[in-house]
Formats: sequence, C-alpha cells, structure tokens
Amino acid sequence: MTVEFNLNFLKELEQETVLEVLYRDQMLRKVDEERIRKLKTQLQQLRWKGAKNASHEYQERSCARCQKSLGLVMNRGAVCNGCSHRVCSECRICLNPYLWKCTICYAHGAMKVKTGEWFFEERAKKFPGEGRCETTGAKLLKSYQKLSKISVVPPTPPPFTESTAGKNTTELDQAKTFNKSVENLFLSLATHIRKISKSHDDVTADKSLLTTDYGQDANRRRERRSQSDTAINIASRIQNAPSLQQLIIGTRDNNAIFTKKGCRPGEDLPSSPLSDVVFSGGVKHGSLFSLNSTCTEADNFDKANVTGEIEFALSYIFKTCTLEVCINACKNLFYGEEKKKKCNPYVKTYLLPDKTARSKRKTVVRKGTVDPAFHETLKYKIDYSQLETRQLQISVWHAGVFKNRVFLGEVLIPLSSWNFEDNSMQSYNWYQLKAKSEDNQVQYSGELLVRAKMCLPSQPEKFRYEEHMMEGTEDQAAHGGQLHLVVLEAKNLPVLRSVGSLNSFVKGCLVLPDQRELKQKSPVLRKETCPRWKHLFVFDGVTPSQLQWAYLDLTIWNEASFGLSDRFLGGARLSTKEPISSTASNPQAKVLWQRILSRPNTWMDITLSLQSNKGVFTF
Amino acid sequence: MQSSGLQPDSAVLAWAAQKFIPWSIKISTMTDGDYDYLIKLLALGDSGVGKTTFLYRYTDNKFNPKFITTVGIDFREKRVVYNSRGPNGSSGKAFKVHLQLWDTAGQERFRSLTTAFFRDAMGFLLMFDLTSQQSFLNVRNWMSQLQANAYCENPDIVLIGNKADLSDQREVNERQAKDLADKYGIPYFETSAATGQNVEKSVDTLLDLIMKRMEQCVDKTQVSDTANGGSSGKLESAKPEDRKCAC
Ligand SMILES: Nc1nc2c(ncn2[C@@H]2O[C@H](COP(=O)(O)OP(=O)(O)O)[C@@H](O)[C@H]2O)c(=O)[nH]1
Ligand SMILES: [Mg+2]
Ligand SMILES: [Zn+2]
Ligand SMILES: [Zn+2]
Repeated sequence: MTVEFNLNFLKELEQETVLEVLYRDQMLRKVDEERIRKLKTQLQQLRWKGAKNASHEYQERSCARCQKSLGLVMNRGAVCNGCSHRVCSECRICLNPYLWKCTICYAHGAMKVKTGEWFFEERAKKFPGEGRCETTGAKLLKSYQKLSKISVVPPTPPPFTESTAGKNTTELDQAKTFNKSVENLFLSLATHIRKISKSHDDVTADKSLLTTDYGQDANRRRERRSQSDTAINIASRIQNAPSLQQLIIGTRDNNAIFTKKGCRPGEDLPSSPLSDVVFSGGVKHGSLFSLNSTCTEADNFDKANVTGEIEFALSYIFKTCTLEVCINACKNLFYGEEKKKKCNPYVKTYLLPDKTARSKRKTVVRKGTVDPAFHETLKYKIDYSQLETRQLQISVWHAGVFKNRVFLGEVLIPLSSWNFEDNSMQSYNWYQLKAKSEDNQVQYSGELLVRAKMCLPSQPEKFRYEEHMMEGTEDQAAHGGQLHLVVLEAKNLPVLRSVGSLNSFVKGCLVLPDQRELKQKSPVLRKETCPRWKHLFVFDGVTPSQLQWAYLDLTIWNEASFGLSDRFLGGARLSTKEPISSTASNPQAKVLWQRILSRPNTWMDITLSLQSNKGVFTF
Repeated sequence: MQSSGLQPDSAVLAWAAQKFIPWSIKISTMTDGDYDYLIKLLALGDSGVGKTTFLYRYTDNKFNPKFITTVGIDFREKRVVYNSRGPNGSSGKAFKVHLQLWDTAGQERFRSLTTAFFRDAMGFLLMFDLTSQQSFLNVRNWMSQLQANAYCENPDIVLIGNKADLSDQREVNERQAKDLADKYGIPYFETSAATGQNVEKSVDTLLDLIMKRMEQCVDKTQVSDTANGGSSGKLESAKPEDRKCAC
C-alpha cells in the first residue's frame, strides 16, 4: 500500500491547512528520531560493555554479561532464552515467574517497544515490501516537496570559503534561524501551493523541454536569473515554465547538463540553484560563488599511484539535520612526491553532485607521513530526505609546494543506500582507496542484460556480411533486416531509499546515420528492484551497413507517479563509433555491437554496465 | 542563508515562547524527547459525531460547541504517565507516554487521504453519535476500512458512543452498541465531550490495550522457541502463583 495520491485534490486553503499539519508532524518525528537514536546508542554501549567474544567463552565458564566466573556445581548460571548465552543470576531480569531474560535481551526487547519497532514489524507482516518506518505524513510531505522541489530546509550549508579547519559548521544565531524558518514555512505555503496545482499542465505543455535542447534552455535560464533578485519575484519566477524542468529533474541531471555545456563559468548556475536561492530571503547568495573552482577542479592536479586505505565513519544527526563525516586516519598512502619520499596528506570531501565550494570540506594537512591520523569531523547541514540523491566523495591529497596537489585516492559512497539508522554502519571502517574514475560524472548505476540478434532475410546464396561491413561497400538497403533485442533484466539499479522498489521500464532508441530515430519502449514492471522485463524490441527495416554507423541507446527509467517526469536510472550505448563523449564510454560496447552485426541470425547475450549520466543518451 | 529549517531546539523554542510567537508556544511545552513511548492513536467515524471536540476535551479539557469541519487530517498531542502493572498485578514502573492523537475528517471527500493515515496508528477511537442512528450504522463500514488499512488485521480499537449528555435526543441505545462491540471483541464507552464523561477513561483503556500488545509482541519474538514458557496472550491471567522468581 503506497501513497498513490498527493494533495492536489484539495483546495488551496485546504492544502495549506494539511501542510501545516504535516510540518507539525515532521517536527514531532524529528524529535522522536533523535530519541530513538539515543536509545539505540545506549543499547549499543550496553552491548559493548558486556561483550564476550566466542573464543573467550570456551576458555572459561563465565557470565556472558558481567564476565563473572561461574561454578560447575554452585552458581552455575543458566542459559538465556533469547540469546542462548550462559549468564549468572544477577544478570537476569524476571518478566514473570516462569520467564526471565538476560540484561541485554531485556534491554533489546525494551528498546523494540520504546522505539516503536514492534509496530513496524507487525505492520510489515501485513504489508510486506513496504517502506518500513516511513509514515504517510512523511511520504506526503516528501512527494509534495519533490513536486515543488522547494524544500523548506535549504539543501546545502551556507557558502564557506576554503577552510582547513575541522569544525566547519558555524552555529548561526538560533533565534534568527527559527524566525526565518517560520517565515519560510509561510512563504513556501503561500507561493508553492499555487504551483502545485499548475505543475501538471506545465509538464504536458512543455514536454519539449524535457528533451535535451540545451541551447534554448540556457537562454531561458538566463532570463530567469535576471529577475531573481528580489523576494517579490519569487513567485513569478517559479511559475516560469523553464524552471520546471529543473524542478522535476533532479539535481543530478542538472549537473549533467552543466558538464555537457563545457563548464563555462558564469554561464549557468551550478546544481540545484533554485532551492538555494529561493529561501535566501530574496538576496541571491552563494550560487555563483565558486564557479571557477567547480570546473577547474578536475584537471589541474597530478596523479600518483593509488595505494592504501582510509578509515572513517558516517552518521546523521537527525536533530540538527547534520551529516557527520568522521575522518579518522589513512594508512599505506603512496608518496605524493615519490622521489623525495614526501607526503603531506589531507582529506577532502564533496557531497556530489554538488561540486561547488559549498560542498567542499577539508581536513588539516598532516606533514611528512603516509599514515596520517586526522580525528576530524567534517559536517554538512542537509535535510535527510536529500541525502538520497547525493554521493559522498572522500578523496585524499598530497599538498605539495606552490599549491601543487597530488591525488592519492578516493572513496565514493552513494548515500541513498547508506543506512543511517543502523548503528553498525556508524562505526569506523577501513575503506580501500580507489583511483579516480575517468570522469566523476560517470557513475555506475547497475547492469543491463540483453540478448540481441541481427535478423536478415534468408537468402539462397550465403552472403558474407562481415566482409560487406568491413569494406563498407554495398548497401543492403534493398533487403533491409531487423535488429532484435530482448531486454532481459537489470541488476543493481539505484533504488531510492524512500521508495524501496522501482516501477521501471526500458526505452530503446536506435539512431541511424541519417539521424533517424527508431524508438521502442518496454512495459512498466512494478515493484521490482531487479526487474526482468524479457521484452523484445524489434527495429525494422535496417541494414547492417546502416547499423555500422548507428548507435543504440538503452535507457532505464522509473515511472513517476504524481504526473512528474520519469526518473532516469541509467543508460548504456551500443555503437561501433568511438563514443561521442568520453563520458559515455562503455569499453566493451564497441566490440559487442560489432559482433552482433557480424553474426547475423544468431542470438548474443550481452551485459552492459549502466551509467548515470543521462545527458549523453538519446531516448 | 539560514541553514536550519524546521528543527528549532529547546533554546530557540524557549525564546519563541517568550516572544509569544503563537504556534510555537503549544509546541514548546512538548518538543523535547523526554518520554519513553510515542503512541499514535487515531479517531475515526462519521462527520459531526464529535471526534474533534472529543480530542480537544481530552488534551485540553475544554469543550468547544462550535462545529468546525476538520480539513482532511489534524492531530493533537498529550503527555501522560502510564503505570504498568508488574508481573503479579502489583503496580510496576511509571512510563512517560507521548500521545499523538490523529483526528480525521469523516467526509467522503477526504477518504483517500484519511485512510492513508490509518496505517500509522497503533490504536483507534471509533466514534459514533448516540443521537444519530446513521452514524451508528456506519460503524460497520468504518470497521472494514480499518481492517483493510490498519497495520494489522485486529488492531486495538475502542468503540465510543459520544454526546451521551444529549439523552433526550438519543437514537442508539446502550444494549445495541454493546452488542456490536462484543461482536468485534472491543470495549465500548458512552462519552460526552461536553461534560467530559468517560473521555479519559476510554483513551486510557485504548492505551492500556496497546501497551499490553507491545509487550506481547516483544515477548513472543524473544521466546518463540521455548516449549511452554512465555506469555499466553490476552488470556494471560491464568494464575500467577506467588512463587518468587527463580533468580
Ligand atoms: N452536546 C454535545 N455536543 C457535542 C459533543 N461532542 C461534539 N459535539 C458537538 O457536535 C458538533 C460536531 O463535533 P465535531 O467534533 O466537530 O465532530 P467531528 O466531525 O467528528 O470532528 C460540534 O458542534 C460539537 O460541539 C458532545 O459530547 N455533546
Ligand atoms: Mg472534526
Ligand atoms: Zn552476570
Ligand atoms: Zn539473552
């Protein structure tokens, strides 16, 4: 049972009323989340205190909870029903005359009750496969916020200049903050409720915008910017159609557009400009702040070999909406300057796709070591719901002389799959450092399994198609064939934490040398995280020589409810050409395509790795 | 740009309360996480039976004779102290309980919205108007809505016949209502939001049912593999022999 509706059916004033209730509910939930987090930490501490490891247990008879040794005859202890550990009589808690539990099991049970976990467990029995802890209120609010894409909580912290200190979040005047947030709430209610009712029409009317006409879009965006300076304009600005594309397409896509445009500073706003600007009280802050560093970042550094590991922990403080990245240490780093055996490492983080200075945090530089200890906590103020579109990039650098930086390795953590409620994930762990991927915009987003065949009409004489193709001579247009492609299944697709499952479908777009596009679409497969469509695409009337210069883009989408545009999950391209953009390189793709063409009438099984850079695909 | 959104902490709220910022005052008294349980109850029933008035009476101990239609959903909060009974029926520990009492609109128009909130509630106040036979007849329909949408097949419910003070206009007699409640195996109370009669008692009863269920849920999962140990559900009161526990 999912929330298959939104607030659109309500009248404006009613929406306002309901939203006020939902926000109040959100506040209550925040307080409760924090309470639960504390409870869980307490239990964890209790566990640690009484922790008894397996080896210890067999060496001597002792109470699993207090480690007091137990006798063979007297004071032998007894086995706890819950955990099967032997415990002494003091470490038991009686529930009734016939039943006792050890202190830990009791605490565990108490926690289940106190946190309300019992309720979600019961509910999961009736509604399996539903987002476990999320309430209807939370879902509604989220869908509302997504629809308007205006969060009342600004998504990223205020712009900081390069700061090497560990404590990066300044505490703003709290009274002011609160005042502001009340203001914001009413502002958002007043302006965006109107928006909600419009958005449907806008989407349909401006469908063209959803394709990738960047040039036109840039103009419009400039327009929008020029009128963005006062609070009075907020409402009208939001009602401008062009912003809608960005309202609907996530920040990730904005970023893709941004890169595609070749990163000309000043030409565009960085990712998620709207949400940042709208609630800055009418004054435009931050967004244009660090464009230069945004774009030059990637290329002006040296690369060393990548070795070693980094130890860190992630936690989310619900009460203050803060993501904490606790950087503990690195070990076995490669020397930043190998010949001189010099290494001055520091750690830098970004909350991708935001690559602006707002998203940058750094530790101090440790001098002359390949095993630096940092013990620093880097903080991000960010609303929990926004984490799922973010990826934490933790990179290690060597600070050389004259600002010469050397890349020593990085770790990418997609936050959508990070379970911040799970205590075990909040503890320190070592992570292997990786080399930089070709382009940070290219992110792996799963695999797609397909089966393809080039069907050619059977002919009396056996044509040797390979030869024809290699020479690129004779055109087979006279007797065109068909390209058959069965979309089998996808694996490891990015699933939003809030949703839990996907309603996914595949689009196939065959782009012929004359720019003709043959399009196919699979049915939507509901509530599957590993969808198996087994759907056949037939591209008719194509010849091998045409295909030689054609490419086939397979893109996977999550069908959106609420009349929003579908969410892009990943794509892959099959082509013999060198990829148009280095970002779309799928190394095997070329070989595979060649092979399909060279062996007509034979099925080929292919696994394609999916990439998240929507901008490069045709669909 | 301010970065903290809707999570004012206690200091801020204290400040806001001082400045008499209206809706923060109400919240400020109850925004801290200093409680042991968050229990979510939900009131449902036809429009006009007195759900909103009832909850207002329960949380603020006041009566509002005006009829203001509830728009979709709303909630009120209250902190209560729950005294659990010990293993032998002796009085046990006292727990602080934060109650979130969801109020729903009875109108058909809001049905899809309100029923979606059923799934988050741990217990239900199913209410009808003693002066309206129709509202009583509709109890069945509300029951089936609950069965479909609540978190489990047999959630904790209390049946409430409200407006008991209007005895001259009564259309539903106690026997009728009691029989129906028995049929469903749920407690029945006749209440008046106007006088406060049975209001607290009915909510307390529901709370009690939920607290019992919580404990059972946990006990069950923890000792499911014991032969004959553990609690035996609602019929538990077998006979707690006065034997001191073994440890
Ligand atoms: N006399 C009397 N009137 C009541 C009682 N409870 C509610 N009302 C009145 O019944 C009307 C509808 O109540 P309301 O709480 O808005 O109903 P709801 O639609 O179920 O929320 C209001 O005018 C209330 O004042 C009661 O116990 N006694
Ligand atoms: Mg009402
Ligand atoms: Zn012990
Ligand atoms: Zn135990």
